[in-house]
Amino acid sequence: MTMGILIFLLILMVSCFFGGIVIRTKSVFAGRKGPGIFQPLKDEWRLFRKGSVYSNTSSFIFQIAPTVYFVSIILAITMIPLGNHAGLISFNGDFVFFAYLLTIGKFFNIISALDTGNSLEGMGASREALYSMLAEPAFFILMASFALLTGHTSFQGIFGSLHFYTYISYAVGFLAAFVFVIIALIENSRMPVDDPKTHLELTMVHEVMILDNSGFDLGLLLHASNLKFAMYGAIISNFFLTPGSELYYTIPIFILTQVLFAVLVGFIESFMARFRLNHNPQYIFTLTSVTLLIFLGVMLMLGKIA
Amino acid sequence: MDPFYLIFGTLIPSLISLIAIPLLPEKNKSAGAFILVFLTALISSIPAIQVLCFHHIVEAEVFLNYPIGTVLLRIDPLSAWFILIINLTCLCGSFYGIGYMSSYKDQKNNITLHWIMYVILHTALIWVCMVQNGLAFLLVWEIMSISCLLLIIFEHQKSETLRAGLIYLVQMHMGVALLSVGFIWVYIAEGSFDFAAIGTYFSHNSPIILFLIFFIGFGFKAGFLPLHTWLPHAHPASPSHISGIMSGVIVKMGIYGILRIITYLDSEWLRIGIAMLILSLLTSFYGILNAAVHRDYKKMLAFCTIENIGIIGMGIGLGLIGKGTGNDYLFYLGFSAALLHTLNHSLYKALLFFTAGNIYQQTHTRNMEQLGGLIKVMPVTAIAFLCGSLAIGGLPPFNGFISEFLIYTGLLDGMKSPNVELNVLMILSIAVLAIVGGISMLTFTKSFGTIFLGSPRKSFDHPPKEVSVIMQIPIGIMIGIMLLIGIFPNYLLLIIQPVVQVFNSAYLPSPALAVLDPTLMMVGRISFLLIVLVALLYFIRSRRTKATEVIYGPTWGCAYIVPNPRMQYTGKSFTKTLAKMFSVFTDEKKEYRELQDTDVFPTTETHYISHYNEFFETRIIDPLDKRLLRLMNYFSFIHNGRTQMYILYGLLFILVFIAATFLNLI
Repeated sequence: MTMGILIFLLILMVSCFFGGIVIRTKSVFAGRKGPGIFQPLKDEWRLFRKGSVYSNTSSFIFQIAPTVYFVSIILAITMIPLGNHAGLISFNGDFVFFAYLLTIGKFFNIISALDTGNSLEGMGASREALYSMLAEPAFFILMASFALLTGHTSFQGIFGSLHFYTYISYAVGFLAAFVFVIIALIENSRMPVDDPKTHLELTMVHEVMILDNSGFDLGLLLHASNLKFAMYGAIISNFFLTPGSELYYTIPIFILTQVLFAVLVGFIESFMARFRLNHNPQYIFTLTSVTLLIFLGVMLMLGKIA
Repeated sequence: MDPFYLIFGTLIPSLISLIAIPLLPEKNKSAGAFILVFLTALISSIPAIQVLCFHHIVEAEVFLNYPIGTVLLRIDPLSAWFILIINLTCLCGSFYGIGYMSSYKDQKNNITLHWIMYVILHTALIWVCMVQNGLAFLLVWEIMSISCLLLIIFEHQKSETLRAGLIYLVQMHMGVALLSVGFIWVYIAEGSFDFAAIGTYFSHNSPIILFLIFFIGFGFKAGFLPLHTWLPHAHPASPSHISGIMSGVIVKMGIYGILRIITYLDSEWLRIGIAMLILSLLTSFYGILNAAVHRDYKKMLAFCTIENIGIIGMGIGLGLIGKGTGNDYLFYLGFSAALLHTLNHSLYKALLFFTAGNIYQQTHTRNMEQLGGLIKVMPVTAIAFLCGSLAIGGLPPFNGFISEFLIYTGLLDGMKSPNVELNVLMILSIAVLAIVGGISMLTFTKSFGTIFLGSPRKSFDHPPKEVSVIMQIPIGIMIGIMLLIGIFPNYLLLIIQPVVQVFNSAYLPSPALAVLDPTLMMVGRISFLLIVLVALLYFIRSRRTKATEVIYGPTWGCAYIVPNPRMQYTGKSFTKTLAKMFSVFTDEKKEYRELQDTDVFPTTETHYISHYNEFFETRIIDPLDKRLLRLMNYFSFIHNGRTQMYILYGLLFILVFIAATFLNLI
């Protein structure tokens, strides 16, 4: 329980500077000095105190959706373990619950975009729904492969008993971390699927969905995005935490992985252009085939196929 | 009370309905029918609850005349489970019907027939679950199908409705034909129409072919993949409370039949299970894909039923694989998931059809592209639809998640099998289930968004308003039950335990329960926590927002200043990308005139029509149908309308017979 709270607080802490590191990395690569790494947090704080503007078209769905989105991510975070220490909530099959929790948040986010009656927001909503649908099987195949490998079906069971000992296992671990990085980028609507800095509503995905949000709600949405990053970063860092090691190893590795992940996101955004919108589905669906490779690797490791 | 009286007591309300409903004044007919349905439900629920809670099986025997013989009526846990589902859905349906049918008060005779058939249908459904004799079963099954047909074609003045009824009738009878073949097969082999004879047959023969015959026979009712084409026609055509019980319980009778036959299986579980799992995966994927593209919201719900039948089938398949491989945990997970999903689906699908009925009653259109902004005028309906959408997408805190969670757990457990093929099958099933979940989210965000959110796309002569309280009550009750299942799923698992044992009497559920019970308790608690946290944060947010300045204005139009409601994103465009990706199955037909070079300023009005065709119907069934008709055309000279010729045919027939007797051919 204490460990669970510690992990939760760690992820919350990382979420406070994650966005800052991404922005800072981007500005360094662009040759600018850039804002401090706590700037996004300060922006959010300002938003929390600001007033709001609501559209006459929108209904209570629009008002409740950011709350549901935020809570769904907070609850999902409580399920993340740290090596062999369980998160606040842990049970068999918790990763299924995890995925469905995130879906609830997305569901409300999408209908709140449709609630404004703006055609461009509908467009973004439709894309978000499609992309998350396409990314879903990758997550499930990946987690199911590890469930097969370790014989456990909870996050903690999987990551607690995951250890690398053969060449294949390193390959599998690397691929899995790679898949999670891409999933995190897709779920957060970052490059190369979506450009958060684009100025044209027509080509936006996530940004256009929150055009009408303001004040407290916008603050929730922005911080939820950072939380999501920190959450996926925490999952990725679990691949690098060897079980059984002491906390004074685990926590620095955890924070280091998160920072590296944030730098990587900034790096990708500085040096990659976004894809054409109609190429996105193919790109996202390719992930599923990568996860099938992981499944194949797991089968090899278990000696089921020669 | 003696179970014999209880079982036959269910017939009394139907008999009363024949006399009472015609005599009642128009405005009380529906209430009268509700009371009769309530009585039937009450009488049949007593033995059902006895069976489920006190584990003793209720039996009665009747002796009928020659061809049928002694008919065994029996309520075992499986029947009891289905009877309770039927009662719940039919009760809610008839209560909802009181409000829904009030707008048809002027059609006096039609309403009388409708409510009589409703009561009879309810009784027939219960009897289908009790009868244990092939011929008697076919009889009850037929009463159920026919009474349902008469309920479907309530609006018989519309040719579209009649056509839907016809499609339903033909397909049901193809199913009945196969079922008859199955029962006669058993009769020839074992000399008895009793269901137990199927068990004896299976114990010393390969079950594959006979099982296939029964499966296809029942599959017509359930709507498994190539047999599903009646659903998208019949559901939109019937009144909404009928669509609700049709989707909620009548298609489930197909599932009941399949489950009943499975209880008699004695070998080949693994092979049948794998086939069932694969077919179910295809069914659910195909169903949800079509649901995503259709704009008629009742048709969308009908396709969604096909998806859910697939999910139930997945559970059955997993259970069979578990039994075949000797994996007790998987066996338990599979069958309990299938049984729970049957209940869950009957709840939220009926709920969704009822809300669809609310929309139709107020707007008289089934095209979601003409709606919009209904949440402002019909908030209760909107919230109910939202709850149904969340539940059907398998999202916590509603009940849909519980059964999907069990299936995921089953798939993950089935993966541990040493069999490599099973490993691959399971991982692919997980992927398909995840995609189905994703498309389901797409479908319901689209439907909810297009129907209820944004601004109205069309102004109606009678502005839509919230429906009467009497239509809201059953909806509220169903949402309540759905939430209860979602938050306390582990109690339901205890109730379902004797039902699972029907499939394997030697099986002891305690080890599986010991693992599953804490997990489900946890799921329930977190679902509850989700609600509490949302309420808490929303409270904080409201306090905060109240303390600051709140301005209301128009939606940010991205710098465009004269937006109009027709510029809103449509449901069709919402799923257009998906439809294009799977264009093999979602065949879009467009009708429009291409603009010519000379049409710089078109003077004539142009029309653009586009709709999605159903793959199996337009690509497979219709072409086959056409070929068959063309072939039959060659024989049309036979029925030429001349009486002389017909008499000649008769004479020829007799002559052929006489000749055949002389030659000892017959």
